[in-house]
Amino acid sequence: MSRLRGYIFSRPFMGERAPQHVQNIVLRDYCQRRGHELLLSATEYAMEDSTLILETVLGELPAIDGIVMYSLFQLPRDPAERRGVVERVLAAGGSLHVAVEGMRITDAVEAAAVEQCWMVKAAMESAPQGPAPAAGPEREGS
Amino acid sequence: MTAGPAPDALGEEWLARGYVIRDVADAAAHEWIVTATARVAAEALGSPAPAGLGASIAFMDAIHERVTPAALNDFRVRVIHGINALPELRPAYFAVARPYLESIVGNELAMQQRVNLSIQMPADASSLLPVHADTWSGDSPYEVVAWLPLVHCYGTKAMYILPPRHAAAFDADFARRAGASSESAFDAMRDQVEWLEVRSGQVLVFDQSLPHGNRVNDEAETRWSMNCRFKGVFTPYGDKKLGEFFEPITLRPATRRGMGYRLPGVR
Repeated sequence: MSRLRGYIFSRPFMGERAPQHVQNIVLRDYCQRRGHELLLSATEYAMEDSTLILETVLGELPAIDGIVMYSLFQLPRDPAERRGVVERVLAAGGSLHVAVEGMRITDAVEAAAVEQCWMVKAAMESAPQGPAPAAGPEREGS
Repeated sequence: MTAGPAPDALGEEWLARGYVIRDVADAAAHEWIVTATARVAAEALGSPAPAGLGASIAFMDAIHERVTPAALNDFRVRVIHGINALPELRPAYFAVARPYLESIVGNELAMQQRVNLSIQMPADASSLLPVHADTWSGDSPYEVVAWLPLVHCYGTKAMYILPPRHAAAFDADFARRAGASSESAFDAMRDQVEWLEVRSGQVLVFDQSLPHGNRVNDEAETRWSMNCRFKGVFTPYGDKKLGEFFEPITLRPATRRGMGYRLPGVR
């Protein structure tokens, strides 16, 4: 049985939000279904782009077997930082789980699949939202 | 002459110190909370319920003689569920702090839906609350915490808070200080924090946006305390939302009227 530290957010992430108690329910369900032991969740700070609590959790490796976060979109927004998190987990022989998407990272192939999801979501977010409004007739004095 | 609020000594004290400690406003409500919690705890252990306020306090003070650190969290969860299932709890909790909350926060209030319980046994490092401010985890700065000791809390059996005069410096250096281990974060403020002695029969109302926490309880007795957040019902919410975390408890007649008012139709 792997011992996974829970990791949840106290701020919106990539346009999403989930109440903290709901995030914990999802983590508990994920771990129960897969036979992992869920260690009490750490809650990331509310300040934008903070990863201070994630750093603390990473510092627990290898005393814990891995991290289970509510969503993959709670990984750092910066690609290099995000890659760094995954590399540190794998280098410690651990695993990283993203509960609401039901995905995990235990090797480079799984890491690439998670990263691909991230990139698609980021692309959707930055894409123009529909056609620009048609220009109306020019008005006198405008 | 301008019509403004009268100077409010309690509010000024709260702003200056970050907290106030006062006798509970409703002694009967306080006694009910203490004895009901002890009764629920005794039921969880299969023990006879202690009779009366003094016996309840003594029973909880000595709970480490009956519960091991390994069994503490399950026990705590059972007591929390048991006490929160009693419909008298939230009205009684509000009653012990009501005038202080009305002075500091307002008289149209939202209250946290579940009252939290902390049990900290002597020498047990598993129940530590590292230095934190609730706002860092998404609580609105408009929230206050009403903290009710069920036993006498003193020394390391109590909690500490960083007063406002020191909190600004902490915030200015936040990334380094809050990102450090909880031990080094506390070491950096060890000489600046205030330990809050609060006796059973008193209530503490504190500013949860100030760094606070607890340490290993080096006293000979177990700490039992409850905490619950209150805020103005129409003030901004943080990550703890109305409905999922807070519930309005004191809407005034003009507000109830206003919420139901509709302009007359014109068609």
